[in-house]
Amino acid sequence: MNFNGKYFGFILFLLSIMPHIVCAQDDDSDIIEKILDILSPDLGDEQDYSDIAERLNYYRKHPIDLNNATKDQLQELIFLSPIQINEILSHSLENGPFINVYELQSIRSLDIESVNLLINFVKVTLPTSFQDLTFKKLVQKADHDIMVRIGKILERQAGFSTLANSKEANYQGSAWRVLTRYRYNFSNSLAASLNMEKDAGEQFFDSSKNKGFDFYSGNISIRGSGVVKKLLIGDYALQFGQGLVMWSGSGFGKGSGISTIAKQDFGLKPYSSVNESMFLRGASGTFKFRKLFFTPFFSKKNLDASTTDQGKEISTISFSGLHRTKSEIENKSRLSSTIYGAHIQFNSKRLNIGFTSYQTQFSLPFSIGKSLYEQYDFRGNLLTNLGINYDYNYKNTYFFGEMAHSKNGGSAFINGIMSSLSPRVSLVLMHRRYAKNYHSFFNQSVSEASNPVNESGFYSALSLKFDSKWDLFTYSDFFRFPWLKFRVNAPSSGYEIFAQINYKMNKKLNLNTRFKQQVREENSEGIITHSGLETVDKQNYRIEISYGINDRFSFRNRVEMVRYQKGNSKFELGFLNYQDIIYKPMSSRLSGNVRFGIFDTESFNSRIYAYENDVLYAYSVPAYQGKGVRFYVNARYTLIRGFDLWLRYSLTSYYDQITVGSGGDQINGNKRSDIRMQIRYQF
Amino acid sequence: MKCICLIFILFQTELIAQISPGPRSLSMGSAGVALKDVWSLQHNSAGIAEIRRPIFALGYERHFSDQDLSTQKAVFVIPFKQHVFGLSFHRYGFSEYSEQTAGIAYSRNFSGALALSIMLKYHQLSIYKYGSSSAVSVDAGLQYRISDRFWIGTHISNPSNSRFQDLLGSTIPSSLSFGVSFEFSDKVLVISDIYMVLNAGIDTKLGLEYRLIKWFALRGGISASPFKQYAGFGIQHHRFTLDVASSSHPNLGYSPNLAFSYEF
Repeated sequence: MNFNGKYFGFILFLLSIMPHIVCAQDDDSDIIEKILDILSPDLGDEQDYSDIAERLNYYRKHPIDLNNATKDQLQELIFLSPIQINEILSHSLENGPFINVYELQSIRSLDIESVNLLINFVKVTLPTSFQDLTFKKLVQKADHDIMVRIGKILERQAGFSTLANSKEANYQGSAWRVLTRYRYNFSNSLAASLNMEKDAGEQFFDSSKNKGFDFYSGNISIRGSGVVKKLLIGDYALQFGQGLVMWSGSGFGKGSGISTIAKQDFGLKPYSSVNESMFLRGASGTFKFRKLFFTPFFSKKNLDASTTDQGKEISTISFSGLHRTKSEIENKSRLSSTIYGAHIQFNSKRLNIGFTSYQTQFSLPFSIGKSLYEQYDFRGNLLTNLGINYDYNYKNTYFFGEMAHSKNGGSAFINGIMSSLSPRVSLVLMHRRYAKNYHSFFNQSVSEASNPVNESGFYSALSLKFDSKWDLFTYSDFFRFPWLKFRVNAPSSGYEIFAQINYKMNKKLNLNTRFKQQVREENSEGIITHSGLETVDKQNYRIEISYGINDRFSFRNRVEMVRYQKGNSKFELGFLNYQDIIYKPMSSRLSGNVRFGIFDTESFNSRIYAYENDVLYAYSVPAYQGKGVRFYVNARYTLIRGFDLWLRYSLTSYYDQITVGSGGDQINGNKRSDIRMQIRYQF
Repeated sequence: MKCICLIFILFQTELIAQISPGPRSLSMGSAGVALKDVWSLQHNSAGIAEIRRPIFALGYERHFSDQDLSTQKAVFVIPFKQHVFGLSFHRYGFSEYSEQTAGIAYSRNFSGALALSIMLKYHQLSIYKYGSSSAVSVDAGLQYRISDRFWIGTHISNPSNSRFQDLLGSTIPSSLSFGVSFEFSDKVLVISDIYMVLNAGIDTKLGLEYRLIKWFALRGGISASPFKQYAGFGIQHHRFTLDVASSSHPNLGYSPNLAFSYEF
């Protein structure tokens, strides 16, 4: 490599500002937590981030080589926008290979924050010679990761009552939750994974029918560089385009950052989450012919479903994966689904176009719901989906979109632009239109409603970096629902406004304020209005301060308030305040965090969601609701290198409540506490 | 019937949005207290203090795509060294209802960092079968430079709470607004306003201008209450400028706005 003076000077310059960045490096879980928090500000607890966390952890341990990075790999980091990925990939083409990771700072669209996050997952090495695979190496040079997690709610819940064990609603298994997982990775080219899980109340080696865990999931996958790009047998996820036709596994919507709104599809992915329904089971592969990528897939899988009285039609599918009561066990795997299809993608440097088509066959037909709002729901037992997706990068602007159609149903469209107008200003505009009779069981495109159907909307977002200390992110979204919805007996509309200001005073003190307003329409209660609907206005206000006391302790303090008002009735308030203490010494075997929180919400409507620290790979965003205090302590202890232990205890204590929870989960008393233990061994 | 309905709706929304900004400001969420162009006469006349050549501009806005309901306006700015004078004329309404305003403004820039302005307005309101009335009000505004690319502005309208004496219930809104403008680069300008109307509420606005090429700019914005989305573009050719904008109200629809200016 021949240096000229200018280039060398540039490197020197970068080296001189390196210390600033090095200091900004955080510990593993901190970074991943930060990323997940950016991506999912207000998602409910039903979301499962474990697969993303796992992938980020993997790249934390095995950084991506910037000189050999692929688009797929960078996309898996989730927090990079398509424009940033394109500029990173074209950087080495234009300027020669990376010499140092700090060269990333010279990439126009990468702001300091993104660079700080990215350097945790990348490295620069000189090209290595081809590694030959031998069986010995496959065992010795590979990474193995075994993890066992158990947990339970300490108070007795109604479903476990021993008094009337024969009752229909009683849980058939023990209160313990058990998760066992194994991961095998060989230099990113061969991987295997196995998950075995039992939820609280599910049977476990304790009945004649059920021998073992309630849920098993696993796969073996190969990543190659020739014709065969990926090959997978077992459980997998498919993510194409903007998620209108096929997107299984985690997907994000309107978050508090700009990178998530334009979905970046990974195509075929090994499935590693413990969500028991949103995946495919069978075989798939991605084959490359010049610029064409061909991904055929086949899946045959059972789903939990309840039937109509005669048992000939499906009334509802259950995605919870819970098999605790007799009826839940009865409904288990009642329905069988067969999915087959393919995706073809043309990839060039700037333009990618993909075509997806697949068919879903169910063993039993779906019945039509009785309510008017269910008129356009899926019926029958055969569904064919078609879709075209595209993305195109021109200078500082990225165009993306997808068009989809379900046979005998409607169409859906999503189109957007993401542009970095200047290195400090980014803009996203996105339009969507989903027909009321568009059906896809794997539709996860951006939407206001929980299902991306019967909706049209326009989303615009602006991200401003004023300087290295101040930044602002804001979005607005206007949406319409042309057909009725559950609890909305007329066509309705609404909007959402979000604004967040971040102030990073220094590397120890960070201040964050956030405002979110959501205005929707819902059936009115009592009062007669011309449309039968009333406006529901929900506003969230949040201030968060995090500060490092010394190199061991840091504090985080959040105050959040919710104001909820329906129609002209009196508004209600919800309030949450918590204090986190994070203990993370530089080189100690013990680390952990503690939260003490107080919450007071007038009802379910003014509940507040907040992210909680958990044992590694587990992430929860529970709702704080009612009046009470919340406490948890979460600790990690490294016995020896590669052998870690986690322990978490949490307690919610409510004021003025004699029971907690409902149904089978109900507890007599005002407390609910939960314990969780986890062991991981890596070798 | 249609007109009565519209009046009813418009009185509720227009009272808050009576500033009737030029299309450049309108397309940026109708923010513009810290913006500087000839149409500043409509929302903060301090914004004309840096104008160095006479400018004449004409504007037209159709409200909610209704055939009858529209605003016509004309502004003229003439500088005499540091002293900048502005004239504005503005008519809003339809055959049975009209509001007319004429204003004269004086603005001055002090040391390049501070611009002050005062404006005198004459209002006339006439409603078919109810009669007409007139009133005089005063506006004042300032703009201050924090740095080369960062300006703040504030504007107060009708602080003395003047009203139409002969038509009870018809008021001239008293408002206070505060705005910032931040130039991220030569191409990107972001502005934001907080607009408070006495007895009516607070609106927050945000707007963005992107100068794609030297003579062509794209704009967009939102305002929070009432929630509206805005978009527009501007074309400049020698001394001519054409600005086109539209606001979109969730229930009432689109309001296109167009203006043309010539610099002497």
